[in-house]
Amino acid sequence: MSVTASAAPSKLKSFVSNQQFILFLVLLGMIGIFTAFNRIFFSVGVAGNVLADWGPLVLVALAETFVIVSGGIDLSVGSVCTLSGVVGAFAIRALTESGMAPYLTLFIGALVCIGVGCIAGVINTLLINYAKLVPFIATLVTLGAAAGLALVFTGGGPIAGGPSQAIQLSVPWLGPISTPIIIVIVICFICWAFLHKSRFGRHTYSLGSNPFATRAAGISIAKQTAKIYILSGALAGAAGMFFYLRLGSGAPSSGLGLELYAIAAVVIGGASLSGGSGRITGTVLGALILTTVTSGLIIVGVDPNWKQVVVAILIAAAVTIQGLRRSEGKAS
Amino acid sequence: MTAPIYEVRNISKKYGAVTALDDVTMQLYPGEVVGLVGDNGAGKSTLVKCLSGVHQPTSGTILLEGQERHWKSPHEALEQGIETLYQDSGLAPHLSVAANVFLGREETVPGILGKMGFLAQKKMDVEAHQELDRVGIAVPQSNRSVSQLSGGQRQAVAIGRAVAWAKKVIILDEPTNHLGARQAGEVLQIIKTAREQGLGVIFISHTLPHVMEVTDRIVVLRLGKVVKDAPTSEFTVETLLGTITGLITD
Repeated sequence: MSVTASAAPSKLKSFVSNQQFILFLVLLGMIGIFTAFNRIFFSVGVAGNVLADWGPLVLVALAETFVIVSGGIDLSVGSVCTLSGVVGAFAIRALTESGMAPYLTLFIGALVCIGVGCIAGVINTLLINYAKLVPFIATLVTLGAAAGLALVFTGGGPIAGGPSQAIQLSVPWLGPISTPIIIVIVICFICWAFLHKSRFGRHTYSLGSNPFATRAAGISIAKQTAKIYILSGALAGAAGMFFYLRLGSGAPSSGLGLELYAIAAVVIGGASLSGGSGRITGTVLGALILTTVTSGLIIVGVDPNWKQVVVAILIAAAVTIQGLRRSEGKAS
Repeated sequence: MTAPIYEVRNISKKYGAVTALDDVTMQLYPGEVVGLVGDNGAGKSTLVKCLSGVHQPTSGTILLEGQERHWKSPHEALEQGIETLYQDSGLAPHLSVAANVFLGREETVPGILGKMGFLAQKKMDVEAHQELDRVGIAVPQSNRSVSQLSGGQRQAVAIGRAVAWAKKVIILDEPTNHLGARQAGEVLQIIKTAREQGLGVIFISHTLPHVMEVTDRIVVLRLGKVVKDAPTSEFTVETLLGTITGLITD
């Protein structure tokens, strides 16, 4: 039986029509437009701010990429980010008071943040695998619980009392790039390798593409789901630590609404919410476009309330273009 | 005659008060294609699920190469060389042909990266091509996404995958459904190739001419019981239909 291939499109053509390439052009276009309105936009200082906003967003967006590729959704990433930042802040304050060295304190604080995220991931997994809730409801439960706990623990105010080295770490030293941003870039690369080059990533795609075929191939859907949601929690926890380093405290509002921006970044990056598609490079660029727009609007003097409207337009445009490209692909 | 490769003895399956399978006994020999036919609700799907390890029979025994087996999961049956192509379970359309062929059996690169699960993609692309070629399916580019293939091509890959991995037994549930005449003919050809390789094949289908063409023996199920188990040469399409519907009894 022959499976005949139509002529493969040329490398150049497939590169130019590549979603990531389009996103890159959109990003360059935005930088150009904002710079035309206000020359200040094209500066190391603004770039540093854009990257500082990008860091936590891309961490939760990476988390969301794995989940969305697997055909699920994780609404809890924003409040898990908040809660882990708060719990991390308590740990850091306690260790600082006990006289531990500042960098070791921050390192342990980061592990606490990631640990809290992992626990949230385990709870999401239990709700999905054993209570048989759909991911939307399971993670909505965790969203509410984590946001509530963050407020209960803090009483509504920020938790300070850590070493001053925290904020110093967030100061850019390599142009607009700070040490936490370097770590985030390394995490992006690791996520890329695992999603696109490893067995774990392969099974994540296959779960989102066809869960029945995945099960028939002998892959445990429950185990794969657990790995994905725990990874998602861990990345949300890392985002919590990023906020802590930036603010020098754990604030109960730091990750508010972050899940929607994360989903937006993933969708703008080309993933389909029905699962089976999406790329790390798309998510990284999607998050960069979002933070560029939000910073750019402020710098050119647009009322900040327009931010959400512009983000909404970006999502609509990205999804429409995707739909057009998909129907075009089927026709050819 | 050689010993059966796969066998069920007196198995029954009850779902509460409903008896889906009632004292079913059948054998499958290596290099043999057995047709499993019956009307809707006759118990074909339940029998397939018992054979592939999805369900455990309420009573009776399952023997693989003469040894009694109690499958706890489809994965366990899969590991013992029983490959099942479920109706409509299909392939993962977003993944490439090679990724689908190796799904759940991915090969990793040597060394520490391999231990972390990093894939030997080029090797799998080449091997997927060779394996499909061996069972009679020519795929020019095994790195193409399955969503770019036609329905018949997808089914060919799905069956090719099952035949390529099956070590002992292959169970095909309605593999010619939704296929055109030419593509169905090609699927039947793949089944014949599998038989020549010494596999035991269980072929479930509603399309009786396909059953007549490709099988050596036909087992007819009716209301959860085996009503006839005879060489295909003893049937015509008419007598087979009569046996399935219960118009002919003997």
